[in-house]
Amino acid sequence: MDRAAPLSGIPRRLRLATAIGALLALLGTYVFATTTRADADPGVNVIRVAEFPADCTYSHRLPDDPIIFPGLPGASHMHSFFGSTVTNAHTTLPDLVSSPTTCNPRTDVSSYWVPTLYNNNVPVEPTIVTFYYLGEGVRADVVAATQPIPQGLRIVAGNAKAAGPNESIARWSCLHAGQVPPSKNFVTCPAGTMMESYLDFPQCWNGRDLDSPDHKSHMAYPVNQACPSTHPVHVPKLRQVLRYPVNGNPALFRLASGPGYTMHGDFFNAWPVAEMARRVQDCIRPVIKCGHDGRPI
Amino acid sequence: MRTLVSAPSALLVAALLLAGCATGSPDPAATAPPSATAPLTAAPSNAGSPTGTAGPFSATDIAWLQLTVAMADRLLPVLDLVPGRTTDPAWRRLATQVEATHRANLDRSRRLLNDSGGPTTNPHEGHDMPGMITAEELTSLRSATGTSFQRLLAGHLRAHLTQAVRIATAEQRGGVHPGTIALAAAVVRNGADDLARLDRLHPPNGRPAGQAA
Repeated sequence: MDRAAPLSGIPRRLRLATAIGALLALLGTYVFATTTRADADPGVNVIRVAEFPADCTYSHRLPDDPIIFPGLPGASHMHSFFGSTVTNAHTTLPDLVSSPTTCNPRTDVSSYWVPTLYNNNVPVEPTIVTFYYLGEGVRADVVAATQPIPQGLRIVAGNAKAAGPNESIARWSCLHAGQVPPSKNFVTCPAGTMMESYLDFPQCWNGRDLDSPDHKSHMAYPVNQACPSTHPVHVPKLRQVLRYPVNGNPALFRLASGPGYTMHGDFFNAWPVAEMARRVQDCIRPVIKCGHDGRPI
Repeated sequence: MRTLVSAPSALLVAALLLAGCATGSPDPAATAPPSATAPLTAAPSNAGSPTGTAGPFSATDIAWLQLTVAMADRLLPVLDLVPGRTTDPAWRRLATQVEATHRANLDRSRRLLNDSGGPTTNPHEGHDMPGMITAEELTSLRSATGTSFQRLLAGHLRAHLTQAVRIATAEQRGGVHPGTIALAAAVVRNGADDLARLDRLHPPNGRPAGQAA
């Protein structure tokens, strides 16, 4: 009996705690919703993810690279271009700014390119191509201080010269088949699914150079959830997601640059300054998921 | 089209000039290390600037020099195989000729890269670019002799020379630095001569001799 009273008392205390917890949760939800409304359009329940997308279908192929081999047509391995439809070896920012684009939104006239994927020596182009601009991988206060990506900035990601998976940040997986473990090289995707490639671009800028001699050192990845002092300007993180209409045995797959782990991406930013700034202001800094129009979803 | 004429590029040009001749300047742009700006100093208006007596280098100049060095680095080990894999004096002469011009042009490319202030390391190390022989192809060459070696060699040499002439022609059209453009002209001339010699030794399938690019 000595132990009966405490035992019967615990459920009472638990019920009380649960009730108080529920009250706090309700209060929290109210405060959360109020805060959210203060940041965005009144009455809209926004999704708290710092994101705006551009979907840019395949445009064209050329053995050109206006970042690595500017002015030297034919110097590169084969690239597949997305976004601006005019990109070639000679392309500079003014060419992009006035160009047509495959992107949704049409305001994104940037150029994006990757090594072409071949299946048994036949080129395969991705049918779903999304470039996410994200505020993630850094502390909340760093996200809140995100700056727009400067117009004309060139960023490369991945390692075209990777001699093995250990030298690569590539990530291959299967759309609608999450049971297949992601890999740095091609994966075997089940019938009816699509092989997909994820690639994250560096998001810390040195604040000074739109490019650099090695085309990398003006950008850096975050360290300990923040931008290093050498590259103090936090800009949206570009995440490239490509879905290819291929599955099954990858033995006959290759990239123009080599095996799957040589996957890389090049980005030449030509977003109109005001459109980029508005999205950073309305989507990234306040941590709100936006659609193609740069408005909260 | 061939120059980067945005305002930031102009700032970078200014940064290079300042970094090259001044210390302790209050201009924050002057703190930019010259190496960070070299490929972006594309403005032809800088001819006669203190960056060099032969004028500035453009991004195209530097990219072409780097690629030319990388391609020569890949071809020379192939040519080194020739004396051990074939006894045909005509093929040995061709290899000696191609090697001589490539070594001379490689020296000039490296000197110019050094003058440019750009990175002198090979950014394409280990990267299979068009016209470059791959590690697997080199292994096949090492195990072949006689006419089968000559056939493989002809294919690789033709691919290399054709690509070298193609990109040197682009440098002639799009480059800025006079010494680099002159080297590109030499590469085009030597490449055409070497291709003509190769075509006489091993005619390409259905292609007239000398139609390289």
